[in-house]
Amino acid sequence: MNAQAAVTSITLPRLRHWPWLVLALITLAIVFIPLPIGFGVPGTYDVRISASQYEFNPGTIRVNQGDQVTIELASTDVVHGLYMDSYDLEITADPGQAATLSFIADKSGTFRFRCSVTCGPLHPFMIGKLNVGNNTLLWRGLALAVLATAVGLWRFRQ
Amino acid sequence: MTRYDLTRIPIAKALLVNRWPQFLVRALALIGFLFAIVAGLGGTPVGSRNFSIVFVWIAWWALLILVAVPLLGRGWCTVCPIPMPGEWLQNRALLGPRGKKPPFGLGRKWPRALRNIWVQNGAFALMALFSAVVLTQPGVTAVLLASFLFLAFGASLIFERRAFCRYMCPVGGFIGLYSQTAPIEVRVRDTAVCAGHTTKTCYTGSEDGFGCPWGVFPGGLVKNTYCGACLECLRTCPLDNIAINIRPVGADLSQPRGRKLDEAFKAFIMLGSAFVYSAVMLGPWGQLKTTAYAIGSLPWLLYVLVFLAFVFVFLPGLFYLSTRVGQLLAPAGRSLPRPFTAYAYALVPLGLAAWIAFSLSFVLTNASYILPVLSDPLGWGWDLLGTAGYSWTPFFTQTIPVAQTLVLVVGLAWAGITARRIAQEGNHPAAWRQAIPNNLFCLLVTVGFLWLFVG
Amino acid sequence: MVIRRLMGEWSARLFLILLIAGLFAAILFGRRTAQAVEIHAVMPERGGWLPGNLTAEVNVPLNLRLISDDVLHGFAVGQQPWPAVDLVPGQMTELTLTFDEPGTYTYYCTRWCGLNHWRMRGTIEVKGEENAPSFTGPGSQPPFMTLGLDLDQPHEVEVDLDRPPSADLGEKLDFTIPTRFATREIYFEETPYQFWQDLREDPGTVSLSDIEIWDLVAFVWQSETTLESLEFGQRLYDQNCAACHGENGDGDGVMAMPETGDYEPEVFGESLMPPGDFTDSQKMLGASTALLQGKIMRGGMGTGMPYWGTIFTDEEIDALIDYIWSFQFPFSNGEL
Repeated sequence: MNAQAAVTSITLPRLRHWPWLVLALITLAIVFIPLPIGFGVPGTYDVRISASQYEFNPGTIRVNQGDQVTIELASTDVVHGLYMDSYDLEITADPGQAATLSFIADKSGTFRFRCSVTCGPLHPFMIGKLNVGNNTLLWRGLALAVLATAVGLWRFRQ
Repeated sequence: MTRYDLTRIPIAKALLVNRWPQFLVRALALIGFLFAIVAGLGGTPVGSRNFSIVFVWIAWWALLILVAVPLLGRGWCTVCPIPMPGEWLQNRALLGPRGKKPPFGLGRKWPRALRNIWVQNGAFALMALFSAVVLTQPGVTAVLLASFLFLAFGASLIFERRAFCRYMCPVGGFIGLYSQTAPIEVRVRDTAVCAGHTTKTCYTGSEDGFGCPWGVFPGGLVKNTYCGACLECLRTCPLDNIAINIRPVGADLSQPRGRKLDEAFKAFIMLGSAFVYSAVMLGPWGQLKTTAYAIGSLPWLLYVLVFLAFVFVFLPGLFYLSTRVGQLLAPAGRSLPRPFTAYAYALVPLGLAAWIAFSLSFVLTNASYILPVLSDPLGWGWDLLGTAGYSWTPFFTQTIPVAQTLVLVVGLAWAGITARRIAQEGNHPAAWRQAIPNNLFCLLVTVGFLWLFVG
Repeated sequence: MVIRRLMGEWSARLFLILLIAGLFAAILFGRRTAQAVEIHAVMPERGGWLPGNLTAEVNVPLNLRLISDDVLHGFAVGQQPWPAVDLVPGQMTELTLTFDEPGTYTYYCTRWCGLNHWRMRGTIEVKGEENAPSFTGPGSQPPFMTLGLDLDQPHEVEVDLDRPPSADLGEKLDFTIPTRFATREIYFEETPYQFWQDLREDPGTVSLSDIEIWDLVAFVWQSETTLESLEFGQRLYDQNCAACHGENGDGDGVMAMPETGDYEPEVFGESLMPPGDFTDSQKMLGASTALLQGKIMRGGMGTGMPYWGTIFTDEEIDALIDYIWSFQFPFSNGEL
């Protein structure tokens, strides 16, 4: 009889907090569960990006994770540059002298690339996007957003 | 609700009551402000090498949106130099009151019809339409700053108290709204003490300090929105009844009193402009940027139209639909009065999160301009600190998208909690259902921002 | 207490006044230009070099403070040994030039700063004593004038090549070019087509096919150049010519046709003619080295071709032409 009482007194406090535990587990799962980083077979990807005041053309590039990417930067009006976020790579191209950046897209996700040579007033906003494989950060973010909304709604049911 | 009164700490109270620390910071801020105007007008037109652009739109903006507003609410207003020249003239003093002369100037009351933030709403929206040029041209920034200075000065000569800050400043408009999320507040300790105090020196002034420059009666403060944290009431109250409390974040958002339509629209203006800025300035669509820059052209007029429609019509319209659906979901007779205005306050933490996420990107990628600008603020070839040759290096580009995601998700969760609290004012177990469409609206907006920042 | 207040107020006022005065003093002090000429570089559509005309004196150092107000520019003085200096937007660069000889010098922009980059030039009038030897660019008449060449006349020839002429194969033919052909003047004044015709008519080449004689022409042209000259010429070409004439010499550079928008004469120049295609055999094989040199020096031809006579030294133009010939006669990558 004493043992039974002891068991009841241990389980009750845990019951009160199990929603937070579940929430924490789901959050951790969303943040850390390994997701496929890409569905394509790595190959080579060559692209010519022309840079003008103040856009990259094409502005968005999509490659497979693991691709050998070669970007030929051709400036069409003034000297521009290209800096790749996260990969921390940079090239500069004068009109008439296209520059080449070659790297392996081993990190998956979406990375912004920016102009790295002051090319006029809007230079800090001269931005393009590189999509490598699956954008797992976006998926996780969306899942967390849905979780946040669900939590808010669930908590209402008091 | 736990609150911790900072003024209980003697050294803290002494520092806040003493006018010198605040005056020194204000004076330095004024010098920086004047220098930004001079730099913008006389320095290099290259924004990244001009003190005006780098220190206003990168350094000061970062401090404001990442630190001052979320943590200190109206903390910037405490030291803002814009109203000071006018106020010093009005007060006839730089520090405390000197003698019994009335304030200098006409001392007119602010027009009754404009005693709201609609002027500030309009001013911010107007600035936003020209943002591509303002953020990148030192000369334009300088003219903007100078016009703020002149407006504030003129307002001090014509109107009583700080009319510019309270009713005209576009920055103050959103700082006020977002200060509702801050973990700090200025309140009275005991309203009964105020009731027994006939002279109300916190509002009328005394020999120790000026009556509230913001035209607020501290005894009636329930929200941070219109308290400019100027600390005058701390100095004038003879009954030691003013407290500066550390408090839970967002406490003002669930305060049912004082919810107004102009503030609700401010929330839409901020949310909407953050969205448009994120698309135009941080997106890969170069045509949008050149359109936003081509002031006066037909494409720009179209951009203006779309911007204004999105901010004043589309977003509020969609939100209105969500409140109507919510009313259908709520139990009969239990929906909140004026749900559109009430639920709009859930957009405050969401908007703040969106602005923080937006600012993180361009601040971290361009913060490296601060060092060379410190050495050569005017582009005249100076090298005061030896860093003039420092070249541009973006910081933490790997972490920016992650940080933006986290900030947005936290903002969304906070918005949901706020909506819940607002719904529970309906005082019925099932009243919460009214907030469901609101939460879905916030989710939709967050998804949009996530796609813009990280997609 | 009142006295303290008064003192506090006046010290606050003094502090503020000192701060503001200090600010203005710092700015005025920093504004000293110390006898230097300040030149602002902006995109040519907005003025180019501001100012665009300077004066100096022989042997007196000219102190320059150069700064770009918009995009990346560069500064160099034509036909002078001083290395080019990049002008990063917003960063002041100080330069001191000292001229030995009086005359008119041309400074120009060395980093492409827009469609009209090549127009971005200014002049420095250097005054000296009377009768001093003067630098006025090419002292004597340029060859195309002494030869009476019409730079504007079309120069197509009829040629039918299956493949580009190869200097290597020409060398392997082991044919001794008759000495009357192997002079520098002939190389300079005759077009490759005329040279080919001379060789074709020579009885010694009867056994050779047409294309093999072209190989010989290529070989002769190659002998007139060196590897260093080709590399130098390529560098000059990439920096100055490729934007219009194309990185592959085919006249399709980024500046040649706008990537977006219409081809507006007010913006893109008086003529709608595209830049010369150096891979076009009909035109190139009918041009002599002297003609090419003339076109480079004088420019014009009713197109947007700039004049380089005051910018490039003779050596630079020779190197450029050597490289331009390599579009017709791909010279071997190895040693010559």
